[in-house]
Order: sequence, then structure tokens, then C-alpha cells
Amino acid sequence: MDDQACPRCKTTKYRNPSLKLMVNVCGHVLCENCVDLLFLKGSGSCPDCNIVLRRGNFRVQLFEDPMVEKEVDIRKRVLRDYNKKEEDFNSLREYNDYLEEIETIVYNLTNNIDIVETNKRIEQYKKENKELIMKNKAKLGRKAIELEELLEKEKEYEELRRQELSRLEQEAKRKKIREKEALIDELMFAEGNAKDILNTFAQTVANKKEEEEVVPMVTQFSTGVQFTRGSTNQPIPIIEEGPMYKYEPLAIPDRCGPDPPMIKEIIQNGFLKHVRAENETEKAGGYTSTLPCLRALQDALSGLYHAS
Amino acid sequence: MEEPTLRYEKIDFLGEGQFATVYKAKDAKTDKIVAVKKIKIGSRLEAQDGINRTALREIKLLQELQHINLIGLLDVFGQKSNVSLVFDFMDTDLEIIIKDNTIVLTPANVKAYMIMTLKGLEYLHQNWILHRDLKPNNLLINREGILKIGDFGLAKAFGSPTRINTHQVVTRWYRAPELLFGARQYGTGVDMWAVGCILAELLLRVPFLPGESDLDQLSRIFQVFGTPTEENWPGMKTLTDYVQFKLFPAQELRHIFSAASEDLIFLLESLLALYPPNRCDCTQALQMAYFSSKPAPSVGPKLPMPSNISKLEVEKPSLKRKLLDNIDGGSLAKRLQF
Repeated sequence: MDDQACPRCKTTKYRNPSLKLMVNVCGHVLCENCVDLLFLKGSGSCPDCNIVLRRGNFRVQLFEDPMVEKEVDIRKRVLRDYNKKEEDFNSLREYNDYLEEIETIVYNLTNNIDIVETNKRIEQYKKENKELIMKNKAKLGRKAIELEELLEKEKEYEELRRQELSRLEQEAKRKKIREKEALIDELMFAEGNAKDILNTFAQTVANKKEEEEVVPMVTQFSTGVQFTRGSTNQPIPIIEEGPMYKYEPLAIPDRCGPDPPMIKEIIQNGFLKHVRAENETEKAGGYTSTLPCLRALQDALSGLYHAS
Repeated sequence: MEEPTLRYEKIDFLGEGQFATVYKAKDAKTDKIVAVKKIKIGSRLEAQDGINRTALREIKLLQELQHINLIGLLDVFGQKSNVSLVFDFMDTDLEIIIKDNTIVLTPANVKAYMIMTLKGLEYLHQNWILHRDLKPNNLLINREGILKIGDFGLAKAFGSPTRINTHQVVTRWYRAPELLFGARQYGTGVDMWAVGCILAELLLRVPFLPGESDLDQLSRIFQVFGTPTEENWPGMKTLTDYVQFKLFPAQELRHIFSAASEDLIFLLESLLALYPPNRCDCTQALQMAYFSSKPAPSVGPKLPMPSNISKLEVEKPSLKRKLLDNIDGGSLAKRLQF
């Protein structure tokens, strides 16, 4: 059973559904209660590996495997410095080597392999590429600003579209009212048959409706995903289904005798007069006198036709 | 007569309980895999009373019962002073499935489990037997996805007007309120309540009412369903172990089971009715709209199984990728996105 459990107090998610597991930089798990207990002063050592930890660095565990949690932490830290882009390399091979190097460093740090050596490697890289790192960091900042601008634009566009829609709606309403008024005027003052007038009006309304074929709005988002409102053409996923359930009464075993009465008949035909009625306590416990009555009748009637 | 110990060839040790040890064995006669439950001979004092009571119950009742959703007793044999019971071999049970957080239980799965449980129980009740120990742990499931009710150590015939039963039955979390109040005469309601608790556990994936003591169990029940009064549970005060409880207001079940459909809530409400005569029986439950509405129940082989049973263990890829040396083939940047 790979149930989530706190290694210190051994509580499991099954026993305490509100259990919250926390994880710190060393990748070892503790439940919230144990963190409260051990880190009263704000800092203390990990019960698993004795590394000094700060309470503020505890986070709720997102991944089931605490090693993944640790790796994500380390990766974030390493990528802050290793921020070269594909454009910074001459060939794809070099770029892939560089990415491989990052993976090796992350792997080493996560699994405690030559930590000192690896840290030295990072320091050296930082020294060698100081300028490029700074430049890329600035570039990253600019990229973020650009993205924000794009989002802002999208919002504006959305607002405009909404206004346009409400305007169209109002116009349609007004048009309908005007049409109705025209029809009433016509009925009041024209000389023709009222039925004919109604028919022609209905015809024109139907014609107009056909013209206004609804065009689904298509919006393009900054991510490039096309988004349609209204009918989607995506097929509905088919869920494999078994046959629907239908209740079938249990086969009644061959009693080898006359059929005993049903519960309803027992109550209606006064069978209950001949058995002890249940008292209040028995009824409160879910016992009724129909039970022994039915059972006694079943027992009495079965096997009557038996012949050896 | 052929020697029974030769007929069953022990394969594996499966587990040990209070009264018995269970082995996986192969029936040499039919080549079938079976479970052999070897009853322990207790102390000398217990041995004086003869054969163990739970074993006697299982043998007595199971040899007359035959239903696809009840565990089948295939054979009983004695050897020296030991008694062994031979059962159908079952791969897993519902508790393991509920607790396995890698398994996703769909509404169709839940429905299938409930139908199989209720069908087995309907047959049992029709034959005047109360199981009295229903819990996920006793709902056994085999590789074909067929659920069978097992462990008849507490089962007993019911419907006798004079016989007094004990109220110390059913594992506490699944025990009905009338048993907790000490009722000595009860009916099928005790099993129905347990089924209701199991259904709730299937939906929540944690025990629904995990009481820490008998009194705590009652207060947990009343915190959900409201404290009963003499109006909605007449005669409650006359039960032997009745105690006055703080008045809790009833909660809406749909707030606890927010993902459950309307007809499922209705089923839960009728299984978990506080007043025993208001509780539905198996036949009524199976005829409810929940079972005949969509989604259709999963068919047996589509039901989930714990990963260690399917035996399809996928080898974990090593964290450290080896550099692919085919330069012309690697046209993509191997960057990990986070």
C-alpha cells in the first residue's frame, strides 16, 4: 500500500483525511503537525538527514514523490543561471550538449552525487558566462513585459466585442418592435383581408431569418489557440458502456410445496393475529412480527409435496 | 478416501487472522487455484467447546448457499485436530481498491460494485441470513471483476420471534445506530446500513463515519443525520443502551457528496435512514432509479485492479537519460519544459 504517510508520527492519509504533507529543500517529508512541533523556534534539523532547515522554507507537497519536489526546487535554482537560449549556440549539437549538462547537474544535486564537484562546476560556469547570464536575464524581463502587453490588448479586444454584441442585440429588439407596429398599422388602415396581411408578414419575417445565418465568432488567443463560441465540431468521446442494469427478481428455489403468501397477503389476510406482535423496543430495533410469520409459513409449506 | 492434504498443494501464504491462517493452494484434482483457511486450534479451554464457533458458522451456512456474489465453500477437510475450509480464490478486496490512490473509481465502477453487493445480500436475506459483518474488507473481488461477499464468521439466521441476538456485531464504522443503542432484536436493516456506509466510502475514498468509540460513532452519525427524536424514531428510548445525545441538526447529504447525482443521494438516504423500519431492503434498493439510469455499470473485466495483480509492471525509465548519439536523428532540442 503506497499510502501517503508521515515518517515521524506514522499518520496516514487514510486515518487522517486532513493530513497535509510538507517538504523542505532536502526533499524529506513531514506532516503539518510535526512541522509545528519540531520547528517551534523557526529553525531545526530534518529528522531524516539532520540538515538544518528553516521553517519558512516548508511548502505543501505537490508531487507524491518527494524526490520530484526536491528536483523541481533544484532545477529552478540551476536554471536561474543556466539561462542560455538556442540562439546562443552555433549548432544544435552544442545546444543539446548544454541541455544535457544541465540535466547532469540537476541529477547530481538531487541524488547527492559529487555535490562539491558539481557546485564548483556551477560557480565556474557563472564566472565564465557572467555577461551572457546578465544579458539573458534582462531579455527574459523584456519578454515578460511583452507578454503582458499582449494580454492587455486581448482584454481590450474582448471588451470591444462585448459592446458590439450588446449593441446588435438592442438593435434587433428595436427592429422587432418596429415590425410589430407596422403590422398593427397595416391591419388598422389597409383594406385587404386581415388573414392575407398576416400571412405576408409571416413570410417576410421567415425570409429575413434565413438571411441572417449565425456566423460563429472566432477569436484567436495569444497562445494561438483558435476558440469558437457556439457549436464545437469536436467529437464527443465515446465511453465504452456495458448493458444498462435492469432489476430481475431472484429465482425462487423449488420449495416442493404450495407457494407461501407474500408479505402483503400476510398483513392483509390477518395472519399476524396468530403471532406475537412486536413490542416497542423490538420495533425500534428494526424487528417486525411479519418476519417470523413469513419465515414460519415458508418453512411449514416447503417440502409438503416431497415423496421419496 | 484420498488424503486431502495431498489434494491441495500449498503455493503461498496469504494472511493470518484471529482465528485462522489462509493459504493460496492448488487443487490437484481440478487444477483450480483455491484459498485454504486453516482454523487455529485455540487454547485448551477453547478446544473443550469443540470446533471454533466462527468456523462452524461458515461451514453451516455456506454449504447451503450458492450465488455468484457469495464466496463459494468448495470443501472442508479435517486433519488430526485441525479443520480447514477451502474457498474460491479471490485476488483482492474492496478495501484495497478504495485505499489504492492510483486507482480512479468512475461512477460506473461504483454502480457495478453496489449491484453485485446488493444482489449477493438479497439472496442472503431471502434465505433468512444476516451477514452482520459487511465492510469493504469482506467484499472480495477476483481477477474477472466479480465481487463476492466473504467472511461468514458472524452470519446468523434471523426472523425468529424468541431468539435474542447480540448487538456486538459489525465492525464499528459500519454499525447501525440501533445496534449501538443495544438492540437485541433486529432485522435486515443492520446489513443495509453497512451497505450505505460502504457506498459512502466508495464515493469519498475515506471511511464515512470513522468513530473512535461506540459513543463517538453515534455522535458522528447524528452530526450528519441529525439527532433522532421520539417522533422520527418511536421507541428509541426503550432500547437497552439508549443515551441522550446533544441535539445536532441534520446535514444535507448532497453537500457531503457534492459530485453525486440526485438518484444516488436518494439511494444513500434510504440506505442510511436512522429509523430501521424506514431503511430500504435489497430488493427495493435494486429497483431504484440510480441503478437503471446512466451510466451503465461497468462490466467485470473493465473494473480496476491494484497494479500488483495485473502483473504488468512497466519498468521505470532511468532518470538520467543517456545521450543519444545519432546526431542526424536528433532534430529536436531535448529541453525539459517546467
